[in-house]
Amino acid sequence: MGSGADLAWLLTAEFSTLNLPLPRLISVVVIGLSHRSAPVELRERFAFAEGKIPDALASLRSAGLTVETVILSTCNRVEIYAATDLAPDVAFAELRRFLLAHHAFDGVLGEELYTLAEPHSLHHLFKVASGLDSMVIGETEIFGQLKKAYDLAFTRQHTGAKLNRAFQRAFNVAKQIRTETNIQRGSVSVMSAAVELAEKIFNSLAEHEVLLIGAGETSEKTARALQSRGVSKITVTNRSPERAATLAKELGARTVPFEHWPEEFERIDIAVSSTAAPHHLIDRAKLETLMKRRRNRPLLLIDLAVPRDIDPAVNTLDNVYLYNVDDLQSIAQEYLKLRHEEVARCETIIAERVATLLEAGKYAAGHSRQ
Amino acid sequence: MIWFTDRHCFLLAVTFYGLSTLYSVFLWRKGFRRDEWVNYFLLSAGVVMHTLAMLKRGMTLHSCPVNNLYEATTFLLWALGMASLVYALLPRFKFLGAFTAPVLFTVGMFALMPSLDPHGLKPEFSGALRSIHAATILQAYGAFGLAAVAAVMFLMQQHDLKFHKLRAMLTLLPSIQRLELITLRLACVGLGLLTVGLVAGEQMPRHEGKPYFTDPKVVWSALLWLVYLELIVARLFLGRSTRRFTFGVIIAFVFLLLTFGITNYYSGLHHS
Repeated sequence: MGSGADLAWLLTAEFSTLNLPLPRLISVVVIGLSHRSAPVELRERFAFAEGKIPDALASLRSAGLTVETVILSTCNRVEIYAATDLAPDVAFAELRRFLLAHHAFDGVLGEELYTLAEPHSLHHLFKVASGLDSMVIGETEIFGQLKKAYDLAFTRQHTGAKLNRAFQRAFNVAKQIRTETNIQRGSVSVMSAAVELAEKIFNSLAEHEVLLIGAGETSEKTARALQSRGVSKITVTNRSPERAATLAKELGARTVPFEHWPEEFERIDIAVSSTAAPHHLIDRAKLETLMKRRRNRPLLLIDLAVPRDIDPAVNTLDNVYLYNVDDLQSIAQEYLKLRHEEVARCETIIAERVATLLEAGKYAAGHSRQ
Repeated sequence: MIWFTDRHCFLLAVTFYGLSTLYSVFLWRKGFRRDEWVNYFLLSAGVVMHTLAMLKRGMTLHSCPVNNLYEATTFLLWALGMASLVYALLPRFKFLGAFTAPVLFTVGMFALMPSLDPHGLKPEFSGALRSIHAATILQAYGAFGLAAVAAVMFLMQQHDLKFHKLRAMLTLLPSIQRLELITLRLACVGLGLLTVGLVAGEQMPRHEGKPYFTDPKVVWSALLWLVYLELIVARLFLGRSTRRFTFGVIIAFVFLLLTFGITNYYSGLHHS
């Protein structure tokens, strides 16, 4: 079985022999830069503001550079997916010129800008949709961003048979990879690992109250991650009551004076500590007394402070689960390692699906409906 | 198919339990990470054959098949297998069968010993009360067995969480809070059924000179009743730790399994 490029070459040769006018052969190309090829300073220079994308799509079309176009612009990548009847080399040169002109870039650009023709362009699109080309491998946010970029182009009629099919297939592959592999499994950040941990201990997070000891950025991020999974009751305590009140207001939580936080242990089930205290705030003896008052209900302690706020010896108490920042980081890293181990399986699925797409003769010699 | 007796059906059931046990070892080694149904189907096949075996025996006897140690043991295992199939349909409980299968297989092998099922044994007493007595007590043991299985799952998961093992995160087992709740509920259900069974037994007609509460089997059952009552009360009202409670549930069930046959052997009431 030949690739799409081979098939296109065969068709061209056939039409030349018969002295027939050549049909417009359309292929998918990609040009862009991403976190893999360019630093953030360069990526932000080439980023398309969301409101400007429709104009850019129209410009490309009216200039005759592309027949169908989708522009994907996120913090980690700026890419133009185009179906064009130009030869790939010509298309890349023109698209490069367009990008530089559109962003008024007069600097030097080398390897940072990558170009891909079929079948690599389709392979790349499938990888992007599946999160395999993302900074955090397997992340799902890119799927939504790609879908949004495609929807924008589709509703403004900048896509046709070629890109519609390619993108639909890409979304399909991403879903297949999500269900058949472990590429998106697990938490790869400290905050999400903390939330996942809480879900392994408690039945439903909505029924449990959280105490934030310390009102810094770390506490806020963890609280938001917990809220995203159903936690509704949060109590904030901080040495500075003003900061506690500010954070509580943002989170829709209540506050307690710092000297009274131990009294909260009768009600709460999760405590997140991230203060700048130079010594342990919670030690074994103190917690042992508190646990009796809790009638030995499970208690999850997340110590995100350095130096640590919670004496590691508390983990020896029954029904107490203590995790510090290193523990959570190692969970996140292990998950990331597992995701990397899954890449080969995902690549196999993608290769098969790209081949299927290209083998469909209609696709290789397809014409845009526009 | 006359040659194909209820014991053949039970032998097939135990074979499926054995296959399920083997597959459980594989699942265990893999850390219960993959969401799949193979073990559930193996266990289901076992329970179907098991049900068939009991139906055949019941239809031959025209009563609930709980007349000797073989029948009592198979009834107990059936209650355990059936309950684990039902519970496995709850979210994240699919692997319950992987913990139940080894119990079903090992006790099933024991039940297959010919001496446990002497031919020609006829029940002296029959009727609804006897069926209620036997069925509720054996179902209570099934509930205790499943409680012990949930307790094992709890202790395994708690250990992994305590010692920060990644396996705790990767596994598709329920939260430990849920496992504890299930263990507690099953122990309560078992205690309730055991109470009904003991009361029904007391109401049954007996030979003269055979008082109910001096029979070894009844004393043993009453002791079990007290043990489970203590475990539940201590956990619910005295704040006993979950770890101690679950350990207690496991030890009580192991004791039940190990002494079930012996007390049955020495029981005058159950051999009259």
